[in-house]
Amino acid sequence: MINIPPKPKASYLAKIGLPFAFMFSIFSFNMIDFNFSDFQNNLQNRKIVTEPLFNPKWQWAWDNTSSALLETIQIAILASIIGCAIALPLSFYASRATNLNKFSYFLYKSFLNLVRTIPDLFWAMMFTVAVGIGPFAGVLALVMFSLAIMGKLLSETIDSIDPGPMEAAKATGASHNQTVFTSALPQVLPNFTAYFLYIFELCIRASVILGLVGAGGVGRIIETQRIFLRFDRISPIIVIILAVVILIEQFSVWIRKKIL
Amino acid sequence: MNLPKQPLNQKIFKYSITSLIILASLWSAAGLEITLDRIIDAPKQIGILVGAMFPLDLSQEAFSRIIPKVFESLFIAWAGTVIGSFYSFPISFLAANNFTKGIVSKATKQILNIIRAFPELILAFIFLPITGLGPLTGTLAIGIHSIGTLGKLSSEVIEGIDEGPLEAIKSSGGSKINELTFGIIPQVMPTITSYWLYRFEINLRASAVLGVVGAGGVGQELINQLRFRDFPRAGTVLICTIVLVLTADAVSAAIRNRIIKGKLVKS
Repeated sequence: MINIPPKPKASYLAKIGLPFAFMFSIFSFNMIDFNFSDFQNNLQNRKIVTEPLFNPKWQWAWDNTSSALLETIQIAILASIIGCAIALPLSFYASRATNLNKFSYFLYKSFLNLVRTIPDLFWAMMFTVAVGIGPFAGVLALVMFSLAIMGKLLSETIDSIDPGPMEAAKATGASHNQTVFTSALPQVLPNFTAYFLYIFELCIRASVILGLVGAGGVGRIIETQRIFLRFDRISPIIVIILAVVILIEQFSVWIRKKIL
Repeated sequence: MNLPKQPLNQKIFKYSITSLIILASLWSAAGLEITLDRIIDAPKQIGILVGAMFPLDLSQEAFSRIIPKVFESLFIAWAGTVIGSFYSFPISFLAANNFTKGIVSKATKQILNIIRAFPELILAFIFLPITGLGPLTGTLAIGIHSIGTLGKLSSEVIEGIDEGPLEAIKSSGGSKINELTFGIIPQVMPTITSYWLYRFEINLRASAVLGVVGAGGVGQELINQLRFRDFPRAGTVLICTIVLVLTADAVSAAIRNRIIKGKLVKS
Protein backbone atom coordinates (compact mmCIF):
# COMPACT_ATOMS: atom_id res chain seq x y z
CA MET A 1 0.00 0.00 0.00
CA ILE A 2 1.49 3.30 -1.03
CA ASN A 3 1.08 6.31 1.17
CA ILE A 4 -0.33 8.98 -1.06
CA PRO A 5 0.11 12.46 0.41
CA PRO A 6 -3.24 14.12 1.14
CA LYS A 7 -4.60 16.39 -1.51
CA PRO A 8 -4.28 20.04 -0.52
CA LYS A 9 -7.58 21.61 0.46
CA ALA A 10 -9.16 24.01 -1.96
CA SER A 11 -8.67 27.61 -0.95
CA TYR A 12 -11.52 29.92 -0.06
CA LEU A 13 -11.02 31.73 -3.34
CA ALA A 14 -11.71 28.53 -5.24
CA LYS A 15 -14.54 27.42 -2.94
CA ILE A 16 -16.46 30.68 -3.18
CA GLY A 17 -15.07 32.14 -6.40
CA LEU A 18 -15.69 29.27 -8.80
CA PRO A 19 -19.41 28.78 -8.00
CA PHE A 20 -19.80 32.55 -7.99
CA ALA A 21 -18.12 32.87 -11.39
CA PHE A 22 -20.34 30.09 -12.72
CA MET A 23 -23.53 31.69 -11.41
CA PHE A 24 -22.45 35.05 -12.69
CA SER A 25 -21.86 33.59 -16.16
CA ILE A 26 -25.36 32.12 -16.26
CA PHE A 27 -26.78 35.40 -14.99
CA SER A 28 -24.86 37.35 -17.65
CA PHE A 29 -26.09 35.11 -20.45
CA ASN A 30 -29.63 35.63 -19.15
CA MET A 31 -29.18 39.37 -19.01
CA ILE A 32 -27.97 39.63 -22.60
CA ASP A 33 -31.06 37.71 -23.78
CA PHE A 34 -29.13 34.76 -25.06
CA ASN A 35 -31.65 32.31 -26.43
CA PHE A 36 -30.40 29.43 -28.48
CA SER A 37 -33.50 28.80 -30.64
CA ASP A 38 -33.83 32.51 -31.44
CA PHE A 39 -30.18 32.56 -32.26
CA GLN A 40 -30.59 29.70 -34.70
CA ASN A 41 -33.55 31.42 -36.31
CA ASN A 42 -31.50 34.57 -36.67
CA LEU A 43 -28.68 32.67 -38.26
CA GLN A 44 -30.99 31.89 -41.17
CA ASN A 45 -30.88 35.51 -42.27
CA ARG A 46 -27.14 35.36 -42.42
CA LYS A 47 -27.36 35.60 -46.22
CA ILE A 48 -28.02 39.37 -46.01
CA VAL A 49 -24.50 39.73 -44.75
CA THR A 50 -22.51 36.77 -45.96
CA GLU A 51 -23.52 36.95 -49.60
CA PRO A 52 -22.25 40.49 -50.22
CA LEU A 53 -19.42 39.96 -47.75
CA PHE A 54 -17.91 37.21 -49.88
CA ASN A 55 -18.54 39.01 -53.18
CA PRO A 56 -16.23 41.97 -52.65
CA LYS A 57 -16.22 44.87 -55.08
CA TRP A 58 -12.49 45.41 -55.37
CA GLN A 59 -12.59 48.11 -58.01
CA TRP A 60 -14.82 50.36 -55.91
CA ALA A 61 -12.65 49.99 -52.82
CA TRP A 62 -9.50 50.68 -54.83
CA ASP A 63 -10.95 53.91 -56.21
CA ASN A 64 -12.42 55.27 -53.00
CA THR A 65 -10.31 54.28 -50.03
CA SER A 66 -6.74 55.25 -50.86
CA SER A 67 -6.97 58.84 -49.60
CA ALA A 68 -8.82 57.81 -46.44
CA LEU A 69 -6.31 55.08 -45.79
CA LEU A 70 -3.49 57.60 -46.07
CA GLU A 71 -5.36 59.80 -43.62
CA THR A 72 -5.61 56.88 -41.20
CA ILE A 73 -1.87 56.31 -41.35
CA GLN A 74 -1.15 60.00 -40.91
CA ILE A 75 -3.43 60.16 -37.87
CA ALA A 76 -1.60 57.22 -36.33
CA ILE A 77 1.87 58.67 -37.05
CA LEU A 78 1.10 62.11 -35.67
CA ALA A 79 -0.81 60.85 -32.63
CA SER A 80 1.76 58.28 -31.60
CA ILE A 81 4.61 60.80 -31.92
CA ILE A 82 2.83 63.52 -29.92
CA GLY A 83 1.43 61.10 -27.35
CA CYS A 84 4.77 59.43 -26.69
CA ALA A 85 6.56 62.78 -26.56
CA ILE A 86 4.15 63.97 -23.85
CA ALA A 87 4.35 60.65 -22.03
CA LEU A 88 8.16 60.66 -21.82
CA PRO A 89 8.49 63.39 -19.15
CA LEU A 90 5.20 62.41 -17.48
CA SER A 91 6.31 58.86 -16.83
CA PHE A 92 9.43 60.08 -15.02
CA TYR A 93 7.12 61.97 -12.69
CA ALA A 94 4.90 58.90 -12.37
CA SER A 95 7.70 56.60 -11.22
CA ARG A 96 8.79 56.04 -7.64
CA ALA A 97 12.42 55.74 -8.69
CA THR A 98 12.72 59.23 -10.14
CA ASN A 99 10.01 61.22 -8.34
CA LEU A 100 10.87 61.54 -4.68
CA ASN A 101 7.81 63.59 -3.79
CA LYS A 102 5.17 61.02 -2.80
CA PHE A 103 2.24 63.35 -3.31
CA SER A 104 3.08 64.44 -6.85
CA TYR A 105 3.98 60.83 -7.72
CA PHE A 106 0.50 59.82 -6.61
CA LEU A 107 -1.10 62.65 -8.63
CA TYR A 108 0.72 61.78 -11.87
CA LYS A 109 0.10 58.07 -11.41
CA SER A 110 -3.63 58.56 -10.89
CA PHE A 111 -3.82 60.95 -13.82
CA LEU A 112 -2.33 58.28 -16.09
CA ASN A 113 -4.70 55.67 -14.63
CA LEU A 114 -7.68 57.92 -15.23
CA VAL A 115 -6.71 58.55 -18.85
CA ARG A 116 -6.28 54.80 -19.31
CA THR A 117 -9.78 53.90 -18.07
CA ILE A 118 -11.53 55.91 -20.79
CA PRO A 119 -11.67 53.86 -24.02
CA ASP A 120 -10.22 55.41 -27.18
CA LEU A 121 -13.57 55.74 -28.91
CA PHE A 122 -14.99 57.67 -25.94
CA TRP A 123 -12.14 60.14 -26.31
CA ALA A 124 -12.88 60.37 -30.02
CA MET A 125 -16.57 61.08 -29.35
CA MET A 126 -15.74 63.83 -26.88
CA PHE A 127 -13.13 65.42 -29.11
CA THR A 128 -15.44 65.44 -32.11
CA VAL A 129 -17.81 67.48 -29.97
CA ALA A 130 -15.03 69.73 -28.64
CA VAL A 131 -12.97 70.48 -31.76
CA GLY A 132 -15.35 69.47 -34.53
CA ILE A 133 -15.71 66.44 -36.76
CA GLY A 134 -12.58 65.53 -38.70
CA PRO A 135 -9.15 63.95 -38.39
CA PHE A 136 -7.96 66.46 -35.79
CA ALA A 137 -10.37 64.95 -33.23
CA GLY A 138 -9.01 61.53 -34.12
CA VAL A 139 -5.44 62.70 -33.58
CA LEU A 140 -6.32 64.10 -30.16
CA ALA A 141 -8.14 60.89 -29.18
CA LEU A 142 -5.18 58.74 -30.15
CA VAL A 143 -2.80 61.13 -28.37
CA MET A 144 -4.68 60.37 -25.15
CA PHE A 145 -4.67 56.66 -26.04
CA SER A 146 -0.93 56.47 -26.66
CA LEU A 147 -0.18 58.77 -23.72
CA ALA A 148 -1.97 56.37 -21.40
CA ILE A 149 -0.29 53.21 -22.66
CA MET A 150 3.19 54.73 -22.91
CA GLY A 151 2.80 56.30 -19.47
CA LYS A 152 1.99 52.96 -17.90
CA LEU A 153 4.62 50.90 -19.72
CA LEU A 154 7.43 53.42 -19.37
CA SER A 155 6.80 54.39 -15.74
CA GLU A 156 6.86 50.71 -14.80
CA THR A 157 10.13 50.31 -16.68
CA ILE A 158 11.58 53.30 -14.85
CA ASP A 159 10.48 51.74 -11.56
CA SER A 160 12.69 48.77 -12.23
CA ILE A 161 15.87 50.49 -13.49
CA ASP A 162 19.27 49.78 -12.03
CA PRO A 163 19.80 52.33 -9.19
CA GLY A 164 23.61 52.10 -9.47
CA PRO A 165 24.16 54.76 -12.16
CA MET A 166 21.80 57.14 -10.35
CA GLU A 167 23.75 56.74 -7.12
CA ALA A 168 26.97 57.29 -9.00
CA ALA A 169 25.64 60.51 -10.52
CA LYS A 170 24.43 61.68 -7.11
CA ALA A 171 27.80 60.90 -5.56
CA THR A 172 29.48 63.24 -8.03
CA GLY A 173 27.22 66.02 -6.82
CA ALA A 174 24.64 66.12 -9.60
CA SER A 175 21.27 67.70 -8.88
CA HIS A 176 18.16 65.54 -9.03
CA ASN A 177 17.27 66.67 -12.56
CA GLN A 178 20.81 66.03 -13.76
CA THR A 179 20.75 62.58 -12.19
CA VAL A 180 17.53 61.67 -13.93
CA PHE A 181 18.73 63.08 -17.23
CA THR A 182 22.13 61.42 -17.28
CA SER A 183 21.50 58.10 -15.54
CA ALA A 184 17.81 57.20 -15.67
CA LEU A 185 16.92 58.40 -19.18
CA PRO A 186 19.63 56.50 -21.12
CA GLN A 187 18.65 53.30 -19.33
CA VAL A 188 15.06 53.38 -20.57
CA LEU A 189 15.59 54.88 -24.05
CA PRO A 190 15.81 51.50 -25.85
CA ASN A 191 12.60 50.41 -24.13
CA PHE A 192 11.02 53.72 -25.06
CA THR A 193 11.77 53.14 -28.74
CA ALA A 194 10.39 49.61 -28.62
CA TYR A 195 7.23 50.77 -26.85
CA PHE A 196 6.87 53.61 -29.34
CA LEU A 197 6.81 51.20 -32.26
CA TYR A 198 4.36 48.96 -30.43
CA ILE A 199 2.09 51.92 -29.72
CA PHE A 200 2.33 53.00 -33.33
CA GLU A 201 0.97 49.58 -34.32
CA LEU A 202 -1.85 49.90 -31.79
CA CYS A 203 -2.63 53.40 -33.11
CA ILE A 204 -2.89 52.13 -36.69
CA ARG A 205 -5.36 49.49 -35.54
CA ALA A 206 -7.31 51.97 -33.42
CA SER A 207 -7.40 54.71 -36.04
CA VAL A 208 -9.27 52.40 -38.40
CA ILE A 209 -12.40 52.53 -36.26
CA LEU A 210 -12.18 56.18 -35.21
CA GLY A 211 -14.13 57.18 -38.29
CA LEU A 212 -17.21 55.42 -36.95
CA VAL A 213 -17.79 58.40 -34.66
CA GLY A 214 -16.63 60.97 -37.21
CA ALA A 215 -13.00 61.32 -36.20
CA GLY A 216 -11.51 60.87 -39.65
CA GLY A 217 -9.73 58.08 -41.44
CA VAL A 218 -10.94 55.04 -43.29
CA GLY A 219 -13.63 54.35 -40.67
CA ARG A 220 -15.61 57.21 -42.17
CA ILE A 221 -16.05 55.28 -45.39
CA ILE A 222 -16.85 52.08 -43.51
CA GLU A 223 -19.50 53.91 -41.50
CA THR A 224 -21.33 55.30 -44.54
CA GLN A 225 -21.30 51.94 -46.32
CA ARG A 226 -22.31 50.11 -43.16
CA ILE A 227 -25.48 52.16 -42.78
CA PHE A 228 -26.55 51.13 -46.30
CA LEU A 229 -25.56 47.50 -45.56
CA ARG A 230 -23.14 47.54 -48.50
CA PHE A 231 -21.04 44.70 -47.17
CA ASP A 232 -19.76 44.03 -50.68
CA ARG A 233 -17.96 47.36 -50.42
CA ILE A 234 -16.89 46.95 -46.81
CA SER A 235 -15.21 43.58 -47.15
CA PRO A 236 -12.49 44.70 -49.61
CA ILE A 237 -11.81 47.72 -47.38
CA ILE A 238 -11.35 45.40 -44.40
CA VAL A 239 -9.01 43.18 -46.37
CA ILE A 240 -6.94 46.16 -47.52
CA ILE A 241 -6.74 47.47 -43.95
CA LEU A 242 -5.66 44.07 -42.69
CA ALA A 243 -2.93 43.93 -45.31
CA VAL A 244 -1.67 47.38 -44.35
CA VAL A 245 -1.78 46.59 -40.64
CA ILE A 246 0.13 43.35 -41.11
CA LEU A 247 2.70 45.09 -43.31
CA ILE A 248 3.30 47.82 -40.75
CA GLU A 249 3.50 45.24 -37.97
CA GLN A 250 6.17 43.28 -39.82
CA PHE A 251 8.10 46.49 -40.43
CA SER A 252 7.99 47.51 -36.79
CA VAL A 253 8.95 44.03 -35.58
CA TRP A 254 11.95 44.22 -37.92
CA ILE A 255 13.01 47.62 -36.54
CA ARG A 256 12.52 46.47 -32.95
CA LYS A 257 14.81 43.51 -33.56
CA LYS A 258 17.45 45.87 -34.97
CA ILE A 259 17.25 48.25 -32.03
CA LEU A 260 17.09 45.87 -29.08
CA MET B 1 38.36 67.43 -19.43
CA ASN B 2 38.73 64.67 -21.96
CA LEU B 3 35.37 63.18 -22.68
CA PRO B 4 35.32 60.23 -25.07
CA LYS B 5 33.87 61.23 -28.42
CA GLN B 6 30.63 59.72 -29.62
CA PRO B 7 31.28 57.45 -32.61
CA LEU B 8 30.38 59.11 -35.91
CA ASN B 9 27.97 56.46 -37.16
CA GLN B 10 25.97 56.69 -33.93
CA LYS B 11 25.70 60.44 -34.41
CA ILE B 12 24.49 60.03 -37.99
CA PHE B 13 21.98 57.44 -36.83
CA LYS B 14 20.69 59.74 -34.09
CA TYR B 15 20.25 62.75 -36.37
CA SER B 16 18.66 60.77 -39.17
CA ILE B 17 16.11 59.24 -36.76
CA THR B 18 15.29 62.65 -35.30
CA SER B 19 14.81 64.24 -38.70
CA LEU B 20 12.76 61.26 -39.86
CA ILE B 21 10.39 61.67 -36.90
CA ILE B 22 10.08 65.42 -37.46
CA LEU B 23 9.51 64.98 -41.20
CA ALA B 24 6.91 62.26 -40.62
CA SER B 25 4.95 64.38 -38.17
CA LEU B 26 5.12 67.47 -40.40
CA TRP B 27 3.97 65.42 -43.39
CA SER B 28 1.08 63.98 -41.39
CA ALA B 29 0.08 67.34 -39.95
CA ALA B 30 0.09 68.89 -43.41
CA GLY B 31 -1.94 66.04 -44.85
CA LEU B 32 -4.54 66.29 -42.10
CA GLU B 33 -4.68 70.09 -42.38
CA ILE B 34 -3.77 70.55 -38.74
CA THR B 35 -2.41 74.03 -38.21
CA LEU B 36 -0.63 75.40 -35.18
CA ASP B 37 -3.49 77.67 -34.13
CA ARG B 38 -5.86 74.70 -34.07
CA ILE B 39 -3.49 72.87 -31.74
CA ILE B 40 -3.17 75.93 -29.51
CA ASP B 41 -6.93 76.43 -29.55
CA ALA B 42 -7.73 72.79 -28.73
CA PRO B 43 -7.13 72.86 -24.94
CA LYS B 44 -9.51 75.83 -24.61
CA GLN B 45 -12.27 74.05 -26.51
CA ILE B 46 -11.76 70.86 -24.53
CA GLY B 47 -11.94 72.98 -21.39
CA ILE B 48 -15.28 74.39 -22.53
CA LEU B 49 -16.63 70.86 -23.09
CA VAL B 50 -15.44 69.62 -19.70
CA GLY B 51 -16.83 72.77 -18.10
CA ALA B 52 -20.20 72.09 -19.69
CA MET B 53 -20.28 68.64 -18.07
CA PHE B 54 -20.20 70.10 -14.57
CA PRO B 55 -22.26 70.08 -12.45
CA LEU B 56 -23.04 66.47 -13.34
CA ASP B 57 -26.60 65.37 -13.89
CA LEU B 58 -27.22 63.42 -10.69
CA SER B 59 -31.01 63.16 -10.98
CA GLN B 60 -32.86 59.94 -10.23
CA GLU B 61 -34.02 59.69 -13.82
CA ALA B 62 -30.50 59.90 -15.23
CA PHE B 63 -29.27 57.13 -12.98
CA SER B 64 -32.22 54.88 -13.71
CA ARG B 65 -31.27 55.10 -17.39
CA ILE B 66 -27.51 54.92 -17.09
CA ILE B 67 -26.96 52.25 -14.43
CA PRO B 68 -28.68 49.40 -16.35
CA LYS B 69 -26.62 50.30 -19.42
CA VAL B 70 -23.41 50.29 -17.40
CA PHE B 71 -24.23 46.86 -16.03
CA GLU B 72 -25.18 45.66 -19.48
CA SER B 73 -21.61 46.45 -20.53
CA LEU B 74 -20.36 44.39 -17.59
CA PHE B 75 -22.55 41.42 -18.58
CA ILE B 76 -21.50 41.67 -22.22
CA ALA B 77 -17.84 41.70 -21.24
CA TRP B 78 -18.23 38.72 -18.88
CA ALA B 79 -20.32 36.63 -21.26
CA GLY B 80 -17.92 37.45 -24.10
CA THR B 81 -14.98 36.39 -21.97
CA VAL B 82 -16.77 33.15 -21.06
CA ILE B 83 -17.35 32.38 -24.75
CA GLY B 84 -13.76 33.29 -25.56
CA SER B 85 -12.20 31.17 -22.82
CA PHE B 86 -14.53 28.22 -23.39
CA TYR B 87 -13.59 27.89 -27.05
CA SER B 88 -10.00 29.10 -26.87
CA PHE B 89 -9.01 26.52 -24.24
CA PRO B 90 -9.21 23.40 -26.45
CA ILE B 91 -8.05 25.36 -29.51
CA SER B 92 -4.92 26.53 -27.70
CA PHE B 93 -3.83 22.90 -27.23
CA LEU B 94 -4.16 22.40 -30.96
CA ALA B 95 -2.09 25.51 -31.59
CA ALA B 96 0.73 24.66 -29.18
CA ASN B 97 3.58 23.16 -31.15
CA ASN B 98 4.75 20.86 -28.34
CA PHE B 99 1.35 19.19 -27.99
CA THR B 100 0.38 18.84 -31.65
CA LYS B 101 3.12 18.55 -34.20
CA GLY B 102 3.71 20.35 -37.43
CA ILE B 103 0.92 21.32 -39.76
CA VAL B 104 -1.98 21.23 -37.26
CA SER B 105 -0.28 23.67 -34.94
CA LYS B 106 0.75 25.99 -37.76
CA ALA B 107 -2.70 26.01 -39.37
CA THR B 108 -4.47 26.63 -36.05
CA LYS B 109 -2.10 29.49 -35.31
CA GLN B 110 -2.83 31.12 -38.65
CA ILE B 111 -6.59 30.80 -38.07
CA LEU B 112 -6.17 32.45 -34.66
CA ASN B 113 -4.13 35.23 -36.27
CA ILE B 114 -6.87 35.92 -38.77
CA ILE B 115 -9.57 36.00 -36.07
CA ARG B 116 -7.44 38.33 -33.98
CA ALA B 117 -6.95 40.76 -36.84
CA PHE B 118 -10.62 41.82 -36.88
CA PRO B 119 -11.38 44.53 -34.32
CA GLU B 120 -14.46 43.91 -32.13
CA LEU B 121 -16.31 46.84 -33.65
CA ILE B 122 -16.00 45.49 -37.18
CA LEU B 123 -17.18 42.06 -36.04
CA ALA B 124 -20.04 43.76 -34.22
CA PHE B 125 -21.43 45.52 -37.25
CA ILE B 126 -21.00 42.43 -39.39
CA PHE B 127 -23.19 40.54 -36.88
CA LEU B 128 -25.61 43.42 -36.47
CA PRO B 129 -27.95 42.58 -39.39
CA ILE B 130 -28.02 38.91 -38.32
CA THR B 131 -28.55 39.06 -34.58
CA GLY B 132 -30.12 42.48 -34.35
CA LEU B 133 -29.53 45.56 -32.25
CA GLY B 134 -28.74 44.54 -28.72
CA PRO B 135 -26.28 43.05 -26.29
CA LEU B 136 -26.17 39.63 -27.97
CA THR B 137 -24.36 41.12 -30.97
CA GLY B 138 -21.76 42.74 -28.76
CA THR B 139 -21.25 39.52 -26.83
CA LEU B 140 -20.65 37.53 -30.00
CA ALA B 141 -18.21 40.12 -31.34
CA ILE B 142 -16.24 40.22 -28.11
CA GLY B 143 -16.38 36.45 -27.70
CA ILE B 144 -15.01 35.74 -31.16
CA HIS B 145 -12.25 38.33 -30.88
CA SER B 146 -11.34 36.87 -27.48
CA ILE B 147 -11.03 33.38 -28.96
CA GLY B 148 -8.27 34.76 -31.17
CA THR B 149 -6.34 36.60 -28.49
CA LEU B 150 -6.81 34.07 -25.70
CA GLY B 151 -5.98 31.19 -28.04
CA LYS B 152 -2.67 32.81 -28.91
CA LEU B 153 -1.75 33.65 -25.31
CA SER B 154 -2.78 30.24 -23.92
CA SER B 155 -0.96 28.33 -26.64
CA GLU B 156 2.20 30.28 -25.79
CA VAL B 157 1.77 29.31 -22.13
CA ILE B 158 1.41 25.65 -23.12
CA GLU B 159 4.53 25.89 -25.28
CA GLY B 160 6.51 27.23 -22.34
CA ILE B 161 5.79 24.41 -19.85
CA ASP B 162 8.37 22.36 -18.00
CA GLU B 163 8.75 18.99 -19.76
CA GLY B 164 9.90 17.21 -16.57
CA PRO B 165 6.46 16.22 -15.21
CA LEU B 166 5.48 14.91 -18.65
CA GLU B 167 8.52 12.62 -18.72
CA ALA B 168 7.76 11.45 -15.20
CA ILE B 169 4.22 10.52 -16.23
CA LYS B 170 5.47 8.81 -19.37
CA SER B 171 8.09 6.79 -17.46
CA SER B 172 5.52 5.59 -14.94
CA GLY B 173 3.37 4.33 -17.81
CA GLY B 174 0.85 7.16 -18.17
CA SER B 175 -1.08 7.61 -21.37
CA LYS B 176 -1.28 10.76 -23.49
CA ILE B 177 -4.52 11.68 -21.69
CA ASN B 178 -2.77 11.29 -18.32
CA GLU B 179 -0.03 13.59 -19.56
CA LEU B 180 -2.63 16.17 -20.44
CA THR B 181 -4.63 16.02 -17.22
CA PHE B 182 -1.76 15.55 -14.74
CA GLY B 183 1.18 17.08 -16.60
CA ILE B 184 0.05 20.03 -18.67
CA ILE B 185 -3.20 21.35 -17.22
CA PRO B 186 -2.02 21.77 -13.60
CA GLN B 187 1.01 23.67 -14.89
CA VAL B 188 -0.77 26.04 -17.25
CA MET B 189 -4.07 26.59 -15.44
CA PRO B 190 -3.00 29.45 -13.12
CA THR B 191 -1.46 31.49 -15.92
CA ILE B 192 -4.32 30.81 -18.32
CA THR B 193 -6.93 31.75 -15.69
CA SER B 194 -5.13 34.99 -15.04
CA TYR B 195 -5.10 35.66 -18.78
CA TRP B 196 -8.87 35.10 -18.83
CA LEU B 197 -9.32 37.68 -16.11
CA TYR B 198 -6.95 40.04 -17.88
CA ARG B 199 -8.94 39.60 -21.07
CA PHE B 200 -12.09 40.39 -19.10
CA GLU B 201 -10.59 43.76 -18.14
CA ILE B 202 -9.84 44.52 -21.80
CA ASN B 203 -13.26 43.29 -22.89
CA LEU B 204 -14.94 45.59 -20.42
CA ARG B 205 -13.41 48.60 -22.16
CA ALA B 206 -14.29 47.13 -25.54
CA SER B 207 -17.91 46.46 -24.55
CA ALA B 208 -18.27 50.03 -23.33
CA VAL B 209 -17.36 51.16 -26.83
CA LEU B 210 -19.56 48.71 -28.75
CA GLY B 211 -22.72 50.73 -28.14
CA VAL B 212 -21.48 53.15 -30.80
CA VAL B 213 -22.72 50.78 -33.52
CA GLY B 214 -25.77 49.77 -31.47
CA ALA B 215 -24.43 46.52 -30.06
CA GLY B 216 -25.51 47.23 -26.50
CA GLY B 217 -23.75 48.73 -23.53
CA VAL B 218 -22.95 52.16 -22.23
CA GLY B 219 -21.44 53.57 -25.42
CA GLN B 220 -24.90 54.00 -26.93
CA GLU B 221 -25.90 56.17 -24.00
CA LEU B 222 -22.80 58.36 -24.27
CA ILE B 223 -23.11 58.96 -28.00
CA ASN B 224 -26.82 59.80 -27.62
CA GLN B 225 -26.22 62.33 -24.87
CA LEU B 226 -23.38 63.94 -26.80
CA ARG B 227 -25.56 64.18 -29.91
CA PHE B 228 -28.39 65.80 -27.98
CA ARG B 229 -25.84 68.18 -26.41
CA ASP B 230 -26.89 67.01 -22.94
CA PHE B 231 -23.38 67.43 -21.52
CA PRO B 232 -24.13 67.06 -17.79
CA ARG B 233 -25.68 63.66 -18.43
CA ALA B 234 -22.82 62.69 -20.75
CA GLY B 235 -20.50 63.54 -17.88
CA THR B 236 -22.45 61.25 -15.57
CA VAL B 237 -22.20 58.43 -18.12
CA LEU B 238 -18.43 58.93 -18.31
CA ILE B 239 -18.00 58.96 -14.53
CA CYS B 240 -20.13 55.81 -14.17
CA THR B 241 -18.04 54.06 -16.82
CA ILE B 242 -14.80 55.09 -15.13
CA VAL B 243 -16.04 53.84 -11.76
CA LEU B 244 -17.10 50.50 -13.26
CA VAL B 245 -13.83 49.99 -15.12
CA LEU B 246 -11.69 50.96 -12.12
CA THR B 247 -13.60 48.66 -9.75
CA ALA B 248 -13.53 45.72 -12.15
CA ASP B 249 -9.80 46.30 -12.78
CA ALA B 250 -9.03 46.37 -9.07
CA VAL B 251 -11.02 43.21 -8.28
CA SER B 252 -9.65 41.31 -11.24
CA ALA B 253 -6.06 42.43 -10.53
CA ALA B 254 -6.39 41.28 -6.91
CA ILE B 255 -7.66 37.85 -7.96
CA ARG B 256 -4.94 37.54 -10.60
CA ASN B 257 -2.30 38.38 -8.03
CA ARG B 258 -3.67 35.76 -5.67
CA ILE B 259 -3.70 33.12 -8.42
CA ILE B 260 -0.20 33.82 -9.68
CA LYS B 261 1.67 34.67 -6.48
CA GLY B 262 -0.30 32.38 -4.15
CA LYS B 263 -1.58 33.07 -0.68
CA LEU B 264 0.15 35.77 1.28
CA VAL B 265 1.99 34.06 4.13
CA LYS B 266 2.37 36.27 7.16
CA SER B 267 5.80 35.88 8.66
